Amino acid sequence: MLVQFLPSKPEVDLSITYDAVVVGSGAAGGMAAHVLTSKGLKVLLLEAGKYQDTSQILHSMEWPYDHPRRGNKPPDYHALTSNEYTFRNSPYAAKTPYNKVQSYVQGWSGTDYSKTLVVDEKENPYSGTRYAWVRSRVVGGKTNIWGRLALRLSDYDFKAKDRDGYGENWPISYSDIEPYYDKVDLYLGISGHKENLPYLPDSLFQKPNKLTYAELHLRETLQGMGRVLTPYRAGVTTEGLKHNKYRSRCYGRGACNRHVGGCDIHAAFDSPTGLIRPAYDTGNLTLRPNSTVFEVTVDKNTGKATGVSFLDSETRKSYQAKAKTVILAASTLESARLLLLSKIANSSGHVGHNFCEHMMGPSVAGYVKDLVGKPRTLDDGKPGSFYIARFQNLDGKKSDFLRGYGYEGSSGTTMTPTTAFSTPGFGEEYKRKVRDYAGAMIEIGAFGEVLARYENAVDLDPNLKDAWGIPVLRFSYKFGENEAKMAKDMAAAGREMFEAAKIEVVRASSEMLPEGWSIHELGTARMGNDPKTSVVNQFQQCHDVKNLLVVDGSTHVNASCQNPTWTIMALCWRSCDHLADQLQKGEV
Amino acid sequence: MQRRDLLKLLIGTAALQLTAAEPGAPLYFSKPEFAALDDLSEMIIPADEHSPGARDAQVAAYIDKTVAEAFLPEDKTSWRKGLSPFVPLNKAQRLTLLTELAAKNDPFFQRLKESTAYAYHTSKIGIHQDIQYLGNVIQIEFAGYDAT
Repeated sequence: MLVQFLPSKPEVDLSITYDAVVVGSGAAGGMAAHVLTSKGLKVLLLEAGKYQDTSQILHSMEWPYDHPRRGNKPPDYHALTSNEYTFRNSPYAAKTPYNKVQSYVQGWSGTDYSKTLVVDEKENPYSGTRYAWVRSRVVGGKTNIWGRLALRLSDYDFKAKDRDGYGENWPISYSDIEPYYDKVDLYLGISGHKENLPYLPDSLFQKPNKLTYAELHLRETLQGMGRVLTPYRAGVTTEGLKHNKYRSRCYGRGACNRHVGGCDIHAAFDSPTGLIRPAYDTGNLTLRPNSTVFEVTVDKNTGKATGVSFLDSETRKSYQAKAKTVILAASTLESARLLLLSKIANSSGHVGHNFCEHMMGPSVAGYVKDLVGKPRTLDDGKPGSFYIARFQNLDGKKSDFLRGYGYEGSSGTTMTPTTAFSTPGFGEEYKRKVRDYAGAMIEIGAFGEVLARYENAVDLDPNLKDAWGIPVLRFSYKFGENEAKMAKDMAAAGREMFEAAKIEVVRASSEMLPEGWSIHELGTARMGNDPKTSVVNQFQQCHDVKNLLVVDGSTHVNASCQNPTWTIMALCWRSCDHLADQLQKGEV
Repeated sequence: MQRRDLLKLLIGTAALQLTAAEPGAPLYFSKPEFAALDDLSEMIIPADEHSPGARDAQVAAYIDKTVAEAFLPEDKTSWRKGLSPFVPLNKAQRLTLLTELAAKNDPFFQRLKESTAYAYHTSKIGIHQDIQYLGNVIQIEFAGYDAT
């Protein structure tokens, strides 16, 4: 199975026993491959999807009018809407007339460029309660299209139980993971501005992006309220990376918010150019795309993992790969599915449980009066706009819900102004208003911690199978009372901040989007010291099967309200360092 | 070559010639329907002193192409149905009816306005002349203000 950047590689050798087989090639799998190969270990990386060169397919700078459908997906493709998730029963793609059905992210603009990066729901069904599940089966997974907000967690998250009594603490502290956050920052590049916040630790930042006038004004207002608006902390290299020839620095060129995501010069981190190609260059990595893993194989006598069984995603032929260690990095839900399919590492009964994520939906939009009708400024193309850090339930008075939330925001003129759709009426006055208000708009949307609860879970559907004949996940997952209270606060606090900054509020909504919308699913194989209540230890090794690791978001004990990708990679680096050490000492 | 293939090829050529004979002929709408759509789009986004309007941005042609390619039959027929009351009217009558529909937030008005706004604001005229968008260029330094 050849891929474009492996020109001289023969067909993958499955007769040998690799040091590690890694399942999944996104942020976690790419990181495992990078860390282990850099230490001279032989790694087989299996990915269910194809290799696709996003340098060629994303067309980050193509104008809409230069594309026959203005960048939109073909007419026989359909993106699920929030109504369809809400009013139809899963599997959502059943009984649809369209040839291809994809998740809601394909309802945005520029979806012709991402149509091959997001799975077809018809081939990949699931059942149970309402859930908008976004999956990307391709080398690099969702890192090819991620939103790239890269935040650290702190002891406000790792030791949250100590603060409010809810849930479980992580078996690690910030000081355990801090050196690995630093490594991730330096190896992959991150853009941001230092704020010295104990609850949102700074990274080792490259040059931050700039703020618009409206954002600077809001930042100053919030300073007076003890709140912090900071330039978007983006997993984007703004100064370049001397050690990585596959990635360019950011030139603020594309209309980055136009597409589902992704960066064709790889200034934004993606696993293929940030991790996998450098890993390949060590000579220690073997990559096999089109490999759908369906079971972790176990030696009945020793209880140790021996490798994995997989299907070629195209020919459906079955293969086995042998390895000294098996590392699952297939995504929070897919790794849980693999553990359940393999019936291993679940003596605690916690696999698939404690499923958590971020709740989205509550948002506020408004305009800055001073900017209406002012000459145009260049507001687009930066690595991101801004982030408002968590402020509830820190050290001061407690609110009527647990935990916190932050806001992602943006402002200024976009290529196709949102005012074209929000301005009432038609005719000359409508046209002028669309133009005059286009640069004055500012908007924030909240991301809040959904409490990890045992009863929020996935298991295997006893009947339904995917296109490869593999049993699929059944969801039993719902937002609860805490999320509903938090949603109200998100809208109210957002309005309060806008009003304090004299921003005219045009919309403030507390309505929650369907479960899953944040694409931050976490916690289905949580880590802990007690094998009775957790699935993996602090080094992400399964309590029951020591040479089986789970290195993706499934091991997170709580969701915090910070975006998880940077933490996934830092934890994975730490665990793989530890694993390499153990392998070299023959302790696994 | 099979006879059937040859026939296909000939039909293909004929179709090409037909298109060539009528440059700019609508792909889905009849000529009167297309003319009404063109009028309505220009009423929604008219030319003014600042920039050309929907007609110059060929909004009707883009909508016609989208409708012609629509996958679900009802996405075609609903457009035809929505346009039909406008087709026999003169310009002044069209404006009156459009104003009435806008006042009651009629679904066809919503759709017409949304499609017109999208087609206009993704066109060269919309992006460069009307909005005068400055992005999608290489920046050595990001534009904007430092967080201080």
